[in-house]
Amino acid sequence: MLFCGMGVLRTGAVVGLALLAGCYSGKHLEAGGGTDPDAGASSGGADESSGDESGGEASCLPEGSSERATLRRLTRQEYNNTVRDLLGDATLPANALPSEELANGFGNDADAQAVSSLLAEQYNAVAEDIAERATETSAKLAELASCAADITETSDTASADSCAAQLIEDFLRRAYRRPVTATEVDELIALSALIRDETDFATGIAGVLEAVLQSPDFLYRVERGYLDDAGRRRPTGHEMATRLSYFFWGTMPDDDLGEAADAGELTESDSILSHAERMLDDDRSRPMVRFFFNNLLPISSLASLERDADRYPTYTPAIGALMREETQHFLAYEIFEGTETWDGVLTAPYTFVNESLAEFYGLSGVQGDAFVKVDLDTSQRLGLLTQAGVVAGTIHSNETNPVVRGAFVMRKLMCTEIPLPEGDVLEDIKPPDPDSGATARERYGQHSSDPVCAGCHSLMDPIGLTLENFDPVGLWRDTENGVTIDATGAVPGVAPVDGPVELVQTIASAPRTHTCFAQRWSEFAYGRTHRADHACTLERLDAEFNDSGHDIRQLLLDLTQTDDFLFMPPEGT
Amino acid sequence: MVQRLNRRSLLRGAGGIAIAMPWLEIMGHPTTARAGRANVARKFVTVYTPGGSVVDNGEGENRWRPTGTENDFELSAILAPLEPVKDKLLVVDGLRMASAVGEQHQAGIIAWLTGTTQQGGGFSGGPSLDQVIATRTLGQYSKTSIQMAVRWGTGKSHGLLDPINAANYEDNENFDPIPPRLDPQAMFEAFFATLDPDNGGEAAARIARKQSILDFVDRRYDSLAPGLGAADKQKIEQHLDKIRELEQALDNDIVASDVCQTPTAVDTSDYDPTTGLESSDTGSVVNESTDAAIPKVGQFMMDMLVMALACEITPVASLQWSDTEAKHTFPWLDLPQHHHYYQHDGGFRPLELEQIQVWYSQQHAYLLGAMDAVDMGGHTLLDESVVFFGSELAQPPSHSKENMPFLVAGGGGGLRGGRFLRNEAIPDNSHNNLLVAILNLFGDDSQVFGDPSYCSGPLSGLT
Repeated sequence: MLFCGMGVLRTGAVVGLALLAGCYSGKHLEAGGGTDPDAGASSGGADESSGDESGGEASCLPEGSSERATLRRLTRQEYNNTVRDLLGDATLPANALPSEELANGFGNDADAQAVSSLLAEQYNAVAEDIAERATETSAKLAELASCAADITETSDTASADSCAAQLIEDFLRRAYRRPVTATEVDELIALSALIRDETDFATGIAGVLEAVLQSPDFLYRVERGYLDDAGRRRPTGHEMATRLSYFFWGTMPDDDLGEAADAGELTESDSILSHAERMLDDDRSRPMVRFFFNNLLPISSLASLERDADRYPTYTPAIGALMREETQHFLAYEIFEGTETWDGVLTAPYTFVNESLAEFYGLSGVQGDAFVKVDLDTSQRLGLLTQAGVVAGTIHSNETNPVVRGAFVMRKLMCTEIPLPEGDVLEDIKPPDPDSGATARERYGQHSSDPVCAGCHSLMDPIGLTLENFDPVGLWRDTENGVTIDATGAVPGVAPVDGPVELVQTIASAPRTHTCFAQRWSEFAYGRTHRADHACTLERLDAEFNDSGHDIRQLLLDLTQTDDFLFMPPEGT
Repeated sequence: MVQRLNRRSLLRGAGGIAIAMPWLEIMGHPTTARAGRANVARKFVTVYTPGGSVVDNGEGENRWRPTGTENDFELSAILAPLEPVKDKLLVVDGLRMASAVGEQHQAGIIAWLTGTTQQGGGFSGGPSLDQVIATRTLGQYSKTSIQMAVRWGTGKSHGLLDPINAANYEDNENFDPIPPRLDPQAMFEAFFATLDPDNGGEAAARIARKQSILDFVDRRYDSLAPGLGAADKQKIEQHLDKIRELEQALDNDIVASDVCQTPTAVDTSDYDPTTGLESSDTGSVVNESTDAAIPKVGQFMMDMLVMALACEITPVASLQWSDTEAKHTFPWLDLPQHHHYYQHDGGFRPLELEQIQVWYSQQHAYLLGAMDAVDMGGHTLLDESVVFFGSELAQPPSHSKENMPFLVAGGGGGLRGGRFLRNEAIPDNSHNNLLVAILNLFGDDSQVFGDPSYCSGPLSGLT
């Protein structure tokens, strides 16, 4: 009987790529230090690095043109942020919308944004509620246009019309994130008048808001672009403001960006870069960085992670919440104040804890709720991947599982696609019984002894086994069930390693790790799943990332300087 | 523009008639599918439960399979709760879900209603049967179809739509997966708010406003589409189609009657419909309050499903109990681990699984009983319906798809219940044949459904 299927791997849709018929060999992995391990899957491994052997498939577009970008719809989070900034509505109304597809792992993959009946129905319902809240008092209406404070039941039609016109024009410009035409405004004035005649001024305005919030101009990031002097198609200033704003702040452009667009500043790459710098330095970029890592790392659910209290008496979900805070606090420090590099994140000899978390870790000398920087015992821990939340967040409830820990590192951080078991193997798969061995190495032993399993599991288990000194709540242990843990393993295709510290050092020094990090950011920033035809963009980003010494903020800025960000595909494609 | 005006006036014409009937019929256009056949099914319901059943308890015993012959059989321990509706129940044993090719759970839930293989680690390669029935055979209703799910998006999908939890697929060129409705209160509002008789005048005024608003929205999508590239245009047109569905729903008045009654409202404040968003891959995150409320919420959703059919709000409804991961606990059965744990994560536990399957049979008996209690004028709602109950696999520890534990119930299209179909002697026993046989009950004479390489023709014996 085989033990190799765990049913614990990320689904194919997470990476959105074709399943492989088999797993990569170590040789392939070593050779594939380049840009796109996934494309090799479909093109028979012809994609390695610079495209010199890819026979035109990975040939780059001429400079100044972009890969086809799909129309992007606001995600639920972006919708929430946008109505907060547009109408002061902080009730998170989009949480009532049906869930996005997981797709690229960030829920913002434009190719996976289908429109269901339920979605349209909920947009309708949510818009009605938002519109009602925004118009329910005279004071609320006056926030949209000051003249609205003076409109009463006895106001004449002319003053109501003129106020409606003023309010609608201003609102529409902000809601559509661009200048609007007189026709567009007039059509909505007519709608408000039609409803007002049957009801009142406020209901007429509410109807306009409800309509606009369902319009494609609001829900989608519609881009028309223009042809510049060199005949290249670029986003307009306002479209660029929208690109920048949703990337860095996850919301509509602010007044500064709008004014910059009006002034024609957002058409050249250097002025776009200086706005990007301003936005990244602004605290409003912090939630974006946090969101990225919450989705990249297995930490988003730590606050409700349960463990057997008898076996792990010092652990509670409250500690889980603190673990997530540790990681996020650490990331914010490292990216904005520390080394600012991905290597630094992966190998920092320190972390951040407060008193409760320090007690959990067995560290003394930390007091209070505030998180403070503490040095790690670098014989046991080093950097992000050894933080309790990251090693605890991946695994089975009360037993460690080297497969999921290894799969997380290989897939999410090294962009190695690992196929799910299928075909004949499926029928025989049964996961190991928790009592079948004292240590995880014994329980999952068949993965290496049985060649049917080993083909794929040799890509995951060797990493997970080096993390076995971390128990299911992320605490250090030397033994499991009385047996000394053997933490030898490997980073598949890179080097053998012994224990977690060597593991993270090896991961941090592997070029693939950094290419993958750049890929993950590009997927998030551009709202897509990485494909073979994105290889040129990634190649450029990767080269710049290397040049900067893997500076994370520089990577985010570089994402605004690619052809994919600065330009648009030719019309009609 | 002319076309648009025509469409709206057509809709208004239908909406003016106070009886809730499919408007195509009112306009004197029987659907093609219905022509020439007297008795066709009018309602289609699918019920999904996770993890198959106990078709092998580890000692070679099938705890699900009835004993006896086609017309004289005893229900098994697992199916025993269905005794009260046995005479309208067709137990369909012995089929193999051959088209379930791909990841073991994902390919299973994808193939169950589509009869297609998982596409490159992604979703389906064709529309699901419920959508085909809804769009091609039943005419137009306020809602083309509804999908509801209890405690959905557990585990690895983290509450998001994923091949691991999606059973319904649009009948369009992309076969887009359809996200189910999760919030029972939002469903109640969406389906039954306009039925409130105390709300008549205000509701009518609101509908008129909504019509004007959607008219505007419709025009925005309509005018935007032509300037876009092909892929984006398709996206916007798809959105426009859904806006038009909303417009149509506004024009279809649903009125309360002896048959159509608002279900009793249920307080579900202890149930978080989006709890999947907080899930962990392994099911280690437990929401005790939400899990404990599953029986109550499930029954409430079934009540709403039955009335959505009886009120002719929709002719096609899907109910999903969780998803293929089923990483939620069963506190009311004193089962503290999640369903997948008993299936195989914690080793195969046939006794606990049997307890869970008996409970699912009880729920299904409740649904069928409720449908059978609605008098549609000489026959019951169940009599004019086809209800298909299934799962993504047969046997949890092996993920085997042999001997799928399928149930078909109702009397629509001449379906005859009270029988036990073994299908053991059929060499080509692919479940695609059952899918096309069900489609035939709705007056569509197709001979193939799903991936044709897994379909040799309609399964005989349903009528």
